[in-house]
Amino acid sequence: MTLGCLLGSLLLSVALWAKPAPEPVSILMPAPFADATAELVETFNREHPGIALSVTRGPLETEAVSDLAISSLLLGNSPYDVLLMDVTWTPKYAKAGWLEPLEAWLGADALEDLAPGAELGNAFDGHLWRFPLVADMGLLFWRTDLMEAPPRTPAELEAISQSLQQEGRVRWGYVWEGRQYEGLSCTYLEVLRGFGGSWLRDGSPDLNSNAAIAASQWLRHLVDVGITPPAVANMAEPEALQTFETGDAAFMRNWPYAWAELNRDGSLLAGKVGITTMVSEPQEPHVATQGSWGLSVLSSSQHKQAAVEALQFLTSAAAQKQLNLNWGYTPTRLSVFEDPELIRANPVLPELQAALAAAVLRPVTPIYAQLSDLLYREVNTVITGEVAAAPAMETLQRNSIQLERSTGGIS
Amino acid sequence: MLRWRQQFWLLLPALGLLTLVFLVPIAHYLWLSTQTQTVLTELRPVPAGAAQWIRLWNDSRFWQDAWQTLRFAGLSVTTEMVLGLAIALLLNEPLRGRSSLRMISLLPWALPTTVMALGWRWIFNDPYGPINQALGWIGVTPIPFLANPSITWISTVWADTWKTTPFVALLLLAGLQNIPRDLYEAAQLEGASAWQSLRHITIPLLTPYLLIALVFRLAQALGVFDLVQVLTGGGPAGSTESLALYAYLNAMRFLDFGYSATVMLGAFTGLLVLCGALALLWWWSSGRQDLAGGGR
Repeated sequence: MTLGCLLGSLLLSVALWAKPAPEPVSILMPAPFADATAELVETFNREHPGIALSVTRGPLETEAVSDLAISSLLLGNSPYDVLLMDVTWTPKYAKAGWLEPLEAWLGADALEDLAPGAELGNAFDGHLWRFPLVADMGLLFWRTDLMEAPPRTPAELEAISQSLQQEGRVRWGYVWEGRQYEGLSCTYLEVLRGFGGSWLRDGSPDLNSNAAIAASQWLRHLVDVGITPPAVANMAEPEALQTFETGDAAFMRNWPYAWAELNRDGSLLAGKVGITTMVSEPQEPHVATQGSWGLSVLSSSQHKQAAVEALQFLTSAAAQKQLNLNWGYTPTRLSVFEDPELIRANPVLPELQAALAAAVLRPVTPIYAQLSDLLYREVNTVITGEVAAAPAMETLQRNSIQLERSTGGIS
Repeated sequence: MLRWRQQFWLLLPALGLLTLVFLVPIAHYLWLSTQTQTVLTELRPVPAGAAQWIRLWNDSRFWQDAWQTLRFAGLSVTTEMVLGLAIALLLNEPLRGRSSLRMISLLPWALPTTVMALGWRWIFNDPYGPINQALGWIGVTPIPFLANPSITWISTVWADTWKTTPFVALLLLAGLQNIPRDLYEAAQLEGASAWQSLRHITIPLLTPYLLIALVFRLAQALGVFDLVQVLTGGGPAGSTESLALYAYLNAMRFLDFGYSATVMLGAFTGLLVLCGALALLWWWSSGRQDLAGGGR
């Protein structure tokens, strides 16, 4: 009896020993993405018995995830193999040597299936560092119950806002992200391009141009004339969405996630919201700041082959379709955008595709965080009315040029 | 009596720990402040001489943040000391339900700063937060607590005061309980008013506790980080950015470690000067107190 037991456990341990332990692959993601991909991870692990894929739920806020990732990378022994990265991190992480170039793993034509706009922001310095999982771009949300068609120029936006406000149908016209943080750079970039300006010209800051001044002046003007509440100077995405979803505003600038929020059961505005791209002066483009999330493999990973397999699985067309159907995440692959089943389920998909095609990148440089910090700080100063647009943009230009010089060039 | 050799060996673990925890990091920071170590050097340190210190000296943002940090610490610590003393005096009285009152008054201090900062971000929300809702009922226009540079720094002080006044009150309460009751009785017999007892008995005998609270609170307030990071992100218009937040931005966002170390050391130097001044004050007042209390 005892002998049998012993023999049995011996056999069992031999069997366990003979079967290699599955290769662990760990991905760090912001919590909402971790929740959304949980089912996919389960499927992956079932189909790949040799790999044990696990997802760490990171913080909700974009920069807090970056802080966590960077802390682990600086300590030299990161527990993660794959990171879900915001588009603006890529050059910084690549330059720091933390990422594995992906072209050797995925092939040079890896990005070919992507929808126009989604291919942006994944390569830097001639290498592919990231594969986009979820597309994200700035959108102008408008109330279909209050107007026939969305405004296409700043003047139209003002006119519709003011007439709705005068009729007492909304308290505010337009809410957007004006807090001193990255979201303001995204908001400002769209207005800047809509006024014919550009953040960099020939690789150098161009922030004291007439268009750049007019763009920040317009944002302040919206507050001055009461279309935008003064509280905008501390509004991030949640605050803007809050004002809009209570029905207090006619327009909002936000990301695609807000669409799902606004149309969920019990929402005051379900079925009453349309999306389009940002307003622009006649002749100037309507653009959307690109804010996609993508997967990168860390250069320190000991399990790169398995990590790449997980990356390919999670970004596959089938996975993206599931993420869109169940979680409303915007796909990055053209074939998914054109899937008739998805379009039936998500009639807004073609409009998202159009917005993605209008996507523009924030400057692609390892020192983007500094550049953006200078920009949102100064534009926020204009929004609060502390400093007029022209001198503030002069300061911004001077500081940006100084940063460019001290770092030996932006890209 | 222990011999000095034994004393040395007994002190050694503590000294070692202090060296490890304080001296080594400071020495490393000093070295780092002579290097350029950024994302552009691929995080490898490159000797930079005094360049980082010159950059610090010429960096108007550093000086602006230094002023804003001092302003924040000055107002919040002063308010906390006054309020803390008042609450401690109250809680020292034989009130009904005193122990539960003491416990309740400690609650804000027990909350993690980020949690309470998120709470205040909501309370200060314009126009949906509770304060502005209440103001709306009485017909007052909403106050942009977090969106106006001349108001927002007061909002950060307000939130900080709410959180840390209990800490000051607790320290001072402990001090109050060490003051012998008979001193007050004697003063009363002599016909001293309540104000005179406070002025001539309570405050002098409480001075060491006031100073401890002051040093603790100043050190914390001058290093304020999480509160502003969550509440305002340093805005609006950079008006609430503290030195710690600036150093954090340089290190974690910009990956500019040499300069971040220099900012921290610059702030540290300022803190040393302040603490030195406070220590002098302490030394001076404890000398006085020994004289005053010499007859007891």
